[in-house]
Amino acid sequence: MFTYFQTIKVENYGSKRRLHDRIKQLIEELPADATYMKMHVQGNSETLALIRRVIVACVQHLDLGAALLNDIKLATTEACTNVIKHAYKFNDAMSFDLEIVTSDEVFVVEVFYHDPDFVPANIPVPNLNEIKEGGLGVFIIRNIMDHVDYSTEEDSGRVRLQMVKILKLRD
Amino acid sequence: MFKIECKVDAEKKIKIFYVDGELDIQSAKTLKSEVMDLIESTGWTYELNMDQVAYLDSSGLGMLVYLKKEITRHNGKLRIVKLNEPVLNVFKLTKLDDFFEIS
Repeated sequence: MFTYFQTIKVENYGSKRRLHDRIKQLIEELPADATYMKMHVQGNSETLALIRRVIVACVQHLDLGAALLNDIKLATTEACTNVIKHAYKFNDAMSFDLEIVTSDEVFVVEVFYHDPDFVPANIPVPNLNEIKEGGLGVFIIRNIMDHVDYSTEEDSGRVRLQMVKILKLRD
Repeated sequence: MFKIECKVDAEKKIKIFYVDGELDIQSAKTLKSEVMDLIESTGWTYELNMDQVAYLDSSGLGMLVYLKKEITRHNGKLRIVKLNEPVLNVFKLTKLDDFFEIS
């Protein structure tokens, strides 16, 4: 059984439904020349720089611009850092999977990992007036990606984090 | 490759760290230990030159918060200079651009 926890940025689309429908459409109608990439990654922070290089390689033909490229590198790194730090507690015997699908209109990254104790609804919301050394990763992800969706499988403890960035606004 | 170079001006009591690379959880540990090893007992200014830093995430930010607190505890001052736009945007998003002295 899966439970879902979603965060959706709606300001560019007027309503959650319109954005959701647009993302669904973009994913269902991916063009034949979409880029697919799958990685099996050791739960070690040394792999993070490699993941960013792979992202750059996946989107280099799209000429995204520095800000957009940084957003998707940042969100993906934050997600993987959370897996390594919080779910795996720096145990590099653990590993996780990363899947990227991108067209010139949408970038979708999914992170699959194991964390039976994870409850997405319990992720703390940081108080930005209190200066702390941690706790900003998910806040950053939710603020730079258009759609963030955690799903957890209770029986196996498997977690899927899906993050979507629309690369081109509808004309 | 993540690199740090430090230049010291003892007369002006300032240490300038030239940071080169991406600042994530892996490299943040290196920067933290390099700066912590060079913190003086009192009254110095520590400048981080981030001109060659094209990437920073929440782990890098967390390390900078830690350094500022430690430097302040030693009556010193931390200054961050030459931030690239994507890196400055991360400070702004988390509202830490007000917490740090940035120029």
